[in-house]
Amino acid sequence: MKKAFALSLATLVALVSFAVSASAKTTVLTPFDKRDWHVIAPQDSDAPLRDYAILYDAGGVDGALGVIGIPSMRTYRHIKCGVDLHNFPFSGSNAGNNNGTPDGKYLYVSDKGSDTIAEVNLQTGWPERIFALPKPFGIHHSAALSPNGKYLWATGELTGKMLKLRLSDGATTVIDVPPAPSAPDYPDTGRAGNYVFSGNYYHSTVMVFQQDPFKLVKEIPVGKNPHGTNVNPTNRIVSVCDKLSATLSLIDVQQLRVRKVIPVGAGPLHNQWDTLGKYDYLSCFVSDSTSKIDGIRGQLVDEFPIHYRVGHNSIAPDNAYYCSQNKFSTGLFTPTGIVFAVNFELQDIDETSPTYGKSVKLIPVDGEPHEGRMIFANYIQRWNTGKGAELFTKGYDLGDVHISFDKGPGLAKVRPQLEPKHADNTSKVWIPRDDGKPGITKEGDVYVVRIKAFSYGYVPRFIHVPKGAKVRMILTNIDKAAGLTKNPDVTMGLAVYGYYGMRTMLISPRGISQVAEFVADKAGEYEFYCQHFCGPLHLEMRGTFFVDPPGGQASLANGDYDSVSMQEQLLDESESEFIVGTNKLMNTLKEGNEPTI
Amino acid sequence: MVFVPALTKSASAGESAVGNGSALTDALQIGEITGLGDRQVTIKTKFEKSAKTYTLHLLPECYVMTAKRADFKKFSELKKGDLIAAYGWYKDGKWNARRIDILDTNDYLVKRLDMDAKAGVYFKHEQY
Repeated sequence: MKKAFALSLATLVALVSFAVSASAKTTVLTPFDKRDWHVIAPQDSDAPLRDYAILYDAGGVDGALGVIGIPSMRTYRHIKCGVDLHNFPFSGSNAGNNNGTPDGKYLYVSDKGSDTIAEVNLQTGWPERIFALPKPFGIHHSAALSPNGKYLWATGELTGKMLKLRLSDGATTVIDVPPAPSAPDYPDTGRAGNYVFSGNYYHSTVMVFQQDPFKLVKEIPVGKNPHGTNVNPTNRIVSVCDKLSATLSLIDVQQLRVRKVIPVGAGPLHNQWDTLGKYDYLSCFVSDSTSKIDGIRGQLVDEFPIHYRVGHNSIAPDNAYYCSQNKFSTGLFTPTGIVFAVNFELQDIDETSPTYGKSVKLIPVDGEPHEGRMIFANYIQRWNTGKGAELFTKGYDLGDVHISFDKGPGLAKVRPQLEPKHADNTSKVWIPRDDGKPGITKEGDVYVVRIKAFSYGYVPRFIHVPKGAKVRMILTNIDKAAGLTKNPDVTMGLAVYGYYGMRTMLISPRGISQVAEFVADKAGEYEFYCQHFCGPLHLEMRGTFFVDPPGGQASLANGDYDSVSMQEQLLDESESEFIVGTNKLMNTLKEGNEPTI
Repeated sequence: MVFVPALTKSASAGESAVGNGSALTDALQIGEITGLGDRQVTIKTKFEKSAKTYTLHLLPECYVMTAKRADFKKFSELKKGDLIAAYGWYKDGKWNARRIDILDTNDYLVKRLDMDAKAGVYFKHEQY
């Protein structure tokens, strides 16, 4: 019996061996939908480490873009861009949902700290141009691309202005949005080339602008303090997160009026439509949840809990995953220094999946990320397989559509690699908590400015120093971690936007003060703000730093704005003279308008 | 024969298209391909109360891909019966397509739209 069993076993082994050797002659790729969930990209090999999509996140105080794989949530790299990054569209077209219709060439990220927009080449993975904006402006967001991909709209939250920028040459048109106080917030563009929509945080309205010619046409009252404002893919509805009303306002694009107001989770900040305009997903900061809205029924249909204090959000290009970009990690992770990591939480939103509505990954993230957008990974070409020259000179194909980088005579073969020097020439130190009285004192010839930060404000809010003053700025966090947030790891920040952005960027957790020293050599009125998310009224944390010119007081009309606008904030002036290609800050003091589609 | 419907009265008059079913002025059309021409696609819309027929003109930069995993396709690979989502805009008498996604009928959103339509909750018939 045993002998018979051994014989049949040997026969079986021989048969299996034959079968294996026969099948080894051809490589059979596992269909992507049959693979392990980690191995789902239809690539030219069965490499187990591929992600099918990439999440780019504007890393906030890091001044860098994060590049994260979906669904693995592995951080691949960071791309240094500037000072305090907020949000971006991909180049191509705004057709579709928030991820748009990318061509895989660029993204345009707003830098609130330096008051610039950085153009990042997705193929090389480095910034290629930086657009300086005409001062005073105070950019917050640059989320809105025209349907033809030639224009970008940005909001000047800190001065009450809106801007239209021509991407070919950086020409800008800037318009004021009175009456003050006016704080243009998140913008989005109509998909048909007609309108630009932007919340006005202080007016509690959504402003409607005509794309071309660029002008304000209407303000639509919505709930209190609107934040995330998104046009859905059909271009019929604009969904607006009314942060302090805990509602979502749905605006009819054709009638330009609110059609319905839906109660949602508390503290709605941002919303993401799926690609078919069926569902809209909201990040709700106070209720620690994701609200899911049915865009046809106009109803809240589901709610998913998240770990803690969500801010921004993003959705996978195939609607399979949703990323909750959380602002606090209290109770998680190993400490790595003075600033604690925040976290990203991946949620499964496929209704047919056994893990629908569940969080499937949670990772620590550095910086304090703002906008995130996702793109299919196969838009990014493989530069490291000998195809570099071809990609440089000819571009690449998406199906039968050819994408090239030719920007003009002589530039097709030049792909600059910009290395922002935003951290150079700054002087900052950490000290134990400084308990000096808030205000300005003079120590020798140095103006010592002590600022206390708390939830939600600064003391003092208005600071005057004369032009040319040596300034020692000390930020101290006096927050008691009370109120709505109750976060023991609340970190306060202070950044003076624009010219002084890289010189300030102060960070203060409780018990630690930070000091910056610089010379206030450019007159003007510059807003400062908290660049570290600290709670639901974080946006209210603002003040003004006046550098008074001789014989007068600085204002938005009185300052060295022309000079500051010409400053190449991230490069030394001497360097920009000889750098080739487009690696120059654009002089944007010119206007340009042409039909947008 | 390619049939391009005129703008509906409500849309051209500036009245809301919300709740009225699909319109030529929408920036997203979902439908089955019923005809193919020289970078032109004719579709019959899906998931709404009364199907409509639109002809979509592909812009030179319009690419075609699968909605899942972005497998880029050539225009010639499109075929009648494919369910597609087209993103673009109406201008100068024609609907300009900027992107064509070939939808997967097993995708949960497609199934949801189908299930909802069978239950009387039609796509582009917003209930508010």
